[in-house]
Amino acid sequence: MKTKSVASLVMAGMLATTSLTFAGPEVVSGPGADPTCFAPWSADTKYLQWPAQEGPYRIAVVNGFVGNTWRIQMIKTAKAYAEDPSIKDKIAEFKVVSTGTDAPAQLGAIEDFINQGFDAIVTIAVSPDGFDRVIRLADRENVVLVPFDNVLDTDAVMQVNEDQTAMGNQWAQFLIDELAAAGKSGGKILEVRGLAGNSVDRDRSAAIHDTFAATGGDWEIVEVVGNWDDGTAQKVTADAIAVHGQFDAVAAQGGTTGVVQAMIDAGHPMVPIAGESENGYRKLVAARSADGLKGISIGQSPGLVAIAMKAAVSALEGNAMPQLISVPLPVATYDQLEDGLNFWSDLPDNFFTVNEFPPCGVNISGPAIMSQSEADVN
Amino acid sequence: MTVARAFGTSLRQNRGFYGAVVLLCVLYLVYNLLHPRGFSSAVLIQNANESVAIVFLAMAQTIPVLLGGLDLSVGAVMTLAACIASVLVNGSPLQIIFGMVVTLAAGTAFGLCNGLIVVYGRLQPIIATLATGAIAMGLALFIRPKPGGDIDGDLNWALTNSLWDFVDTYALFDPDASWFAPFAWIPVPILIMLVFGVGVWLPFRRTIIGRTIYAIGSAEGAAYMSGLPINRAKIAAFTLAGFFASCGGLYLAIQTASGNADISQAGAYTLNSIAAVVLGGTSLLGGIGGAIGSMIGALILRVMSFYFRILSIDPLLQPLVEGVVLLAAVSLGAFRVLRIKNRLELFR
Repeated sequence: MKTKSVASLVMAGMLATTSLTFAGPEVVSGPGADPTCFAPWSADTKYLQWPAQEGPYRIAVVNGFVGNTWRIQMIKTAKAYAEDPSIKDKIAEFKVVSTGTDAPAQLGAIEDFINQGFDAIVTIAVSPDGFDRVIRLADRENVVLVPFDNVLDTDAVMQVNEDQTAMGNQWAQFLIDELAAAGKSGGKILEVRGLAGNSVDRDRSAAIHDTFAATGGDWEIVEVVGNWDDGTAQKVTADAIAVHGQFDAVAAQGGTTGVVQAMIDAGHPMVPIAGESENGYRKLVAARSADGLKGISIGQSPGLVAIAMKAAVSALEGNAMPQLISVPLPVATYDQLEDGLNFWSDLPDNFFTVNEFPPCGVNISGPAIMSQSEADVN
Repeated sequence: MTVARAFGTSLRQNRGFYGAVVLLCVLYLVYNLLHPRGFSSAVLIQNANESVAIVFLAMAQTIPVLLGGLDLSVGAVMTLAACIASVLVNGSPLQIIFGMVVTLAAGTAFGLCNGLIVVYGRLQPIIATLATGAIAMGLALFIRPKPGGDIDGDLNWALTNSLWDFVDTYALFDPDASWFAPFAWIPVPILIMLVFGVGVWLPFRRTIIGRTIYAIGSAEGAAYMSGLPINRAKIAAFTLAGFFASCGGLYLAIQTASGNADISQAGAYTLNSIAAVVLGGTSLLGGIGGAIGSMIGALILRVMSFYFRILSIDPLLQPLVEGVVLLAAVSLGAFRVLRIKNRLELFR
């Protein structure tokens, strides 16, 4: 019945409309549904509303690149969340495909799922541009397309991400506060940046610089490029220590385990540090915070996929949704770390610790899924 | 009778090619049977769109492979062409056509340079194109350091849809005219592949240069002794490869309405183009096969990945399944070894 009506809608759409007129979400005024979970990005974020459809829904996740811990954890989280009692009854069919870094294949997969009559498609875009055609098709057939993590340069679709600028601000503010507590209002900071040319790297770095500049203190920020990778970050940190001697604090966008390792290897004193959410980094901070390695850990969570799925279902139910959803930053400071709760001494260093979002009812513990599947493999 | 005999001979001489055609037909038929909206124009359009870039790259790769070489720069040339197109293909219709011509000319010129380096630099194609591929990638990054560009939206819509939408977008005539109905469902990307792929390749392979390429792949010494234009054929082979790669890049840019100097995507396309060439029945040793076979091979590669969207296969197992199926498909070509009468033939 449903497929038939969708098919007839498509036929009608193909025959009756010209290519330039299409349906899609209506722009409405807020507030949207469940604002503690689906927080709008800013005050001028617009709200989108799709016509309510009857569940249960067919949902697909179209991933691009696969092959690092973050992506694997993301896929496992998506599968586990689809089985979660809070949402299981609302999902009739759930599919996950990875297309690799191949833009035509990703666009093709999205279009295929639209053709198959799926109701919502969650995706990590391989490129911030180039989705015009699938957005047009999705709108024509009232399919909810939800890019997350690597989002698109458009305001025509609902998207889910963490605020990278806020992340940079919090990192810098933590370091400023820790240094102030030690009586310093200026000094030399090491900044380990991420992948060059990437918008995430740009936003995080700009926020770090702005926050330090706003204090009016005498800061010298030394930038090195670590590519969010432990090995690269470790090497560039070691080089920076060799050249500059000593830093008063470190701000690392990623590869933080490698950064701390380089400091230990060089005999650099343990100083306040801001970093990502790698398990290895949290292990090191927990072990050495008493020596002065006072750290803050904020992460881009693989659990974002669950928020994107939840947002898709909410949109299909006809709720008004913010066009750009800002997911609360998962923060842990050195005094909050607890083994087995927000880091795991028995799990690998490259594991991403943050996976849960209590305000959204997303309680899929990353370690639980990862360790469970390892048992399956053995 | 003679037609049947000619077909029989062709079948015997091109087992790999006909095997690939049968495999593609079976795979595609089953895919459409399983698809909830199988055998519809919408599904065909989507499949065709997704296949254009890899089909052109596979055709590009075929020609150096027929020489007995490999072109590792095809993915990079495609990316370079896409980045050039993302800057030039917009504005008035005349400007758009100008942009397209410049894009294709740039890719073709890059292929020409590859040929000149291989012939007069006396370098192995695999190593020469590895280097020039990096140069193409560098140029692409220079032209488009960040993904973006504004390719004409109507062009994007018109070329990635059926003929009906193409006619409708540009208001050429009444798209609902009764004489037009039998063709209206045909996807534009399929026509593009036929016109620019088959339309260029088939006449080319019948020329002396085209036949010389096969002769070089079979036995370069014999080709030389026969007085064939070896240098010209090699340069032409790489030039045509550059042309096909830039066709793929131009379509990629129009399809995504943007350009993106994505290094890992370029690498993946180069490797997939080699896989498609082998799947299509072209020998990596050179001299046997053809670009039409590679077109079929590229389509087989694509259809294999379509299945993951229909069947429920664990997402983390999908690369494994794809690899095993690919290995099985390529192994089909090795069955001739079982029938071989003289072991010396193995070294052929």
